[in-house]
Amino acid sequence: MVEVENLNKIYTVGSKQEKVLDGITFHIQKGELVLLRGVSGSGKTTLLSILAGMEKPSSGKVLIDSEPISKLPDIHLSHFRAKKIGMVFQHFNLIENLTLLDNVLVPLVANRVGLKEAKEMALAALKNARIEHKKDAYPNRLSGGEKQRGAIARAIVAKPSLLLCDEPTANLDSKNSQSFIEQLMQMHKEGQTIVVATHDPIFETLECEHRIIDIKNGKIV
Amino acid sequence: MNSLFLNNQVIVYIFSETVLALLTLIIFVMALKFIRYWDFNSFSNFQLKLEKEANLVMTIATFLFTLKLLLLIYFVYTIDNLSLIVPGAMCGAGVISANDYGMTLLFVKIIVIFGLLLFLVVNHYDLLGKNYPLFRFKSWVIVTAALLIFGEFYLDISYFTNIDTSVPVSCCSALFGNLEGANPLPFGLDIKMLLVLFFTLYFGAVVALYLESRLLSTLLLALFGVIAYYSVVYFFGTYVYELPTHKCPFCMLQKEYNYIGYLIWGSLFFGLYFGFIWVIMSLRSYKLERIKLASILLLTLFVAINSFYVANYYLHNGVLLENIK
Amino acid sequence: MLNNSFFYLFTLSLFKNAKRYISITLLSTVVIFLLSSVLYISGSIKYSLQKQLNLEPDFIVQKRVGTRLVPLDDAIADKIVDIYGISEVTKRVYGSYFFDKEHSAQIVGIDLLDEQASKAFQNILRKEEIKSFLSSESMIVGEGVFNYLKSHFYPKAYNFFTPGGKLKKVKIFKVLDSKSALFSANLIIMPQDLAKEIVGLKENQVTDIALNVPNVDEQSNIRSKLESLFFSARVYSKKQMQEAYENLYNYKGGLFLVLYLVVIATLALILYLRYTLANSLEKKEVAIFRALGWSIKDVITLKSLESISIVAFSFLLGTLLGYIYVFMLGSPLLKNIFLGRAYEASITLIPHIDWLTLTTIFILYATTFLSAVLIPVWRVAVTEPKEALG
Repeated sequence: MVEVENLNKIYTVGSKQEKVLDGITFHIQKGELVLLRGVSGSGKTTLLSILAGMEKPSSGKVLIDSEPISKLPDIHLSHFRAKKIGMVFQHFNLIENLTLLDNVLVPLVANRVGLKEAKEMALAALKNARIEHKKDAYPNRLSGGEKQRGAIARAIVAKPSLLLCDEPTANLDSKNSQSFIEQLMQMHKEGQTIVVATHDPIFETLECEHRIIDIKNGKIV
Repeated sequence: MNSLFLNNQVIVYIFSETVLALLTLIIFVMALKFIRYWDFNSFSNFQLKLEKEANLVMTIATFLFTLKLLLLIYFVYTIDNLSLIVPGAMCGAGVISANDYGMTLLFVKIIVIFGLLLFLVVNHYDLLGKNYPLFRFKSWVIVTAALLIFGEFYLDISYFTNIDTSVPVSCCSALFGNLEGANPLPFGLDIKMLLVLFFTLYFGAVVALYLESRLLSTLLLALFGVIAYYSVVYFFGTYVYELPTHKCPFCMLQKEYNYIGYLIWGSLFFGLYFGFIWVIMSLRSYKLERIKLASILLLTLFVAINSFYVANYYLHNGVLLENIK
Repeated sequence: MLNNSFFYLFTLSLFKNAKRYISITLLSTVVIFLLSSVLYISGSIKYSLQKQLNLEPDFIVQKRVGTRLVPLDDAIADKIVDIYGISEVTKRVYGSYFFDKEHSAQIVGIDLLDEQASKAFQNILRKEEIKSFLSSESMIVGEGVFNYLKSHFYPKAYNFFTPGGKLKKVKIFKVLDSKSALFSANLIIMPQDLAKEIVGLKENQVTDIALNVPNVDEQSNIRSKLESLFFSARVYSKKQMQEAYENLYNYKGGLFLVLYLVVIATLALILYLRYTLANSLEKKEVAIFRALGWSIKDVITLKSLESISIVAFSFLLGTLLGYIYVFMLGSPLLKNIFLGRAYEASITLIPHIDWLTLTTIFILYATTFLSAVLIPVWRVAVTEPKEALG
C-alpha cells in the first residue's frame, strides 16, 4: 500500500543545509492504522506531506498503491492527491467563505465529479461524520469538535485509499479528542488505511490494533 | 510621426501588441532556460522552480493565442477602416500594400497563430504524459513562436510608421486586376487550370491525410494553401462580389458581403493549421484522430462555401461570370 | 475541469469573495465609463460628419488666388454642364457673418429653382410655406443663432450689415429643430439673392460650384477636365474632404491619448492591488485547495475566470453607463471639451455606437487588465500545498 525507501529531505536556507528526513524506510499494509510519533521538529509533518504528494523529497522513493509519486508532474500529482489521499489538518483548514457542505465539495470538484452526484456524496460523508445537521453553517459558527467532524467528512468524501491526519487532536479539548479517536477506530474497523502524525499522549491508550513509528531528528528510531 | 499614429484604433492596436510582446519576452526567456536546464529527474529546487514556471508559460501562451487571434481580426478591420484616410485606398488591400511591410506582416501574423496553436496542442499532450514527454519540443516551439512574435512586432512598427498619407496608394482593382494583359497567376496558370488544380489538390490533401501519409499531406496541404489563395482572389471572390473584375482578398471581409471572408479565410487557415499540426504530431508518434478530422472538415467547409457561391450565382443567373476562358 | 460542479464552486467563490474584488471592479468600471463616454461622443460626431459628408457632392469647383477664396463667375457652371458624364451641377453661395468678435454664423443661400436644393429643403419647409418664405426677405436660423439673437433683443428680425455698410433687415421665418444641430446650430438659410447681398457677392457671382459624377471610373478623367476649365481653378473631391475630416478628427484624439495614459496608470494600480490582494488569507485558501487535489492549472483556471468575469462585468457596466451619460443625459461637462463654442452647447448627440468603438475599448481594456493580473494569478496558484499544514 505505502512503500517508502531511503527517503531524504534537505531544506536549504541560505547557505545552510538542514537534513529534515534522513534515510527513512518503511512499509504500510492496506487497512493498517499507523501512529507517526515524534516531538515537533522531528520531521513527522514533512514526512506526512511527502506521503500526501504535497512536497517533493530530495531523494528516495515513495510508492502509494504501487505508483511512484516522488517525481510526477503537478497535474498528475494533484490528481493523485484528489483521488487517493484524504487529509485532516491540525487547524481543520475549512474555507471560511464556504458552508460546510460546499467545503466538502472542494475535493470532489478536483475529481471532476458532476454537481448532482457530488452533492449526494458530500451529504453522505457529512452523515458518516455525524455532522450533517450543520451542513449549511459557515465554519466560524462551528465549535472545534464540529469543525473536526466537517474536516473528516471532507477528507473521506472522495473515498481515499490513504487517510492522513496531522496533529488531529492538537486543537481539541479532551472530550472532543476522545470522540475523534472513536471515529478513527470506526474508520479503521471499516478497513481504511490511516496514518496519524501526533505527539498527543491520548493516543497511547488507543484500544485497537495499531503500529507506532517513532521519529527523532529525521530518523526512525 | 505620421497622422496614422493618432488614429484611435492604431494606438490601441500598437499598444496591445507592445504589451503582448513584453509577455512574449517573459516566456521566451523562460523557454530558453527550459531548453538549457530542464532535468525532470532532478530533485533540485531550481528544477521545481522551472516546473512552476512551465505553468506560467502555458498560461501566457493560451492568453497570447486568444489575443493574437482577436488582434488579427482587429488589425484587418482597422486596415479596412484606414482606407478612409489613406488616399487612393478603397479597402484594406490598398492600405496593406501602402509599403513593403504590410503583406509580410500579415503573413507572419498567420504563422504566429499557427505556432501558438501548435504549442497549445503539444502542451496538451505533454501534460497527459507522466514525465513531460514533449517538454523539450514544446519549449522549442515556444522559442520559435516568440521569435516570430518579435519579428511581427518589428513589422507592426515598421508598417505603421512607413505609411505616407500624402502619397496615394492603389486600390484593389489595380493591385489584383490583370492590368495590361499580364497574368497575375503563378506558374503561368490560367483560370481553368487553377480550378482543376484547386479541386485536385483539395481532394489529394484530404486523401493523403486520411491515409496518414505525412510527406504527401505536407506537400499537398502547402500547395493547396497557395492555389486556394489564388483561386479565392481570382475566381471564387468574383462570385462573392458578383462582379468579374472585382478581385480582392479583403473586400469580402466587409459588411456588404456578410463578413463571409472571415469564414472563408478562417476555415482555410485553420484547416491547414490542423493538417500541419497532425503531421508534426505524428512525427512525434502521436496519431491525433480528432485533429485530422477537424482539418478535413474545415478544408471541406472551405471548398463548400466557395463552390456554393459559384453554384448560387449560376442558379440565379443561368450563366457563369465570363472569366473562365 | 470545466464541469457544472466547477462552475458551481466558481460562482460561489466569486460572490462570497465579492468584497475582495469590489474595489477593482469599481475602478475598472469608472475607467471604462470615461473611455467609452469619450469614444461615444467622438464616434457620434464622426457619424454625423459622415452622414453630412454623404450628402456632399462628388466634386466642388472653387477659384483660389493665393490662399484666398475668390468668387466664381456663374457662367462657368454652364461650361461644366457641357462636360459629358456630369450630373447635378449646383451653384452655391455661402459665407460667414460675424455678429461680434466671438459669435459668427454660417450663411447659406438656397436657390429654390434648383431641383436638388429644393428637394433637400422639403424637410425644412412645407410647400405652402415656401411661397411666403420667398415673398418677404426672411431667413431660417439654427437654434444657436436664434438663442443669440433673442438674447440680444432680436426675437423677430435682425439687421445685417452688408459689406458695403448698408443695413439689411431680415425676418426670422423659422427656427431649425435641434435634432441635427451639430451642423445647423450656427446656420442661417436664406434665398440665394439675399445671401449674395449679405456675403458681398455680385449678382453673377457664386461661392463655388458643386457637381456629381455618377460613374466612379470617370472621376479622375473629369477631374482633369475641370481643372483645365479656367485659370486658378481648384477641384475638391468627396474623398479628399473625407480624408481631411478624418485627419482633423484624429488630431482631436489628443484628449483620447491623455485618457489612455490614465487607463495605463489605473491598470498599473490594479496590478498593484492584485499583488497585495494575494495576501496570506488568499494564499492559505489556495494552499488548502491544492492540498485537497487541485492542480496549479485548476487554480489558474479558477482565478483567471474570476478576472475575466470582472473584465466582462465592468466592461458591460461601464459601456452601459457611458451610453446613458452621453446619449440620455446629454453628456454634461465632457461635451464642452469636444465642442468648445458657445452655440454648440445646445447640441444633442445622435445616439450611434459602432462595433469598432466597442471592440477598441474592449481590446485596450482586456489586454491591459488580463496582462496585469496574469503573473499575480500564477504566483498565487503555485502556492505550495504544504503551506496548508501546520
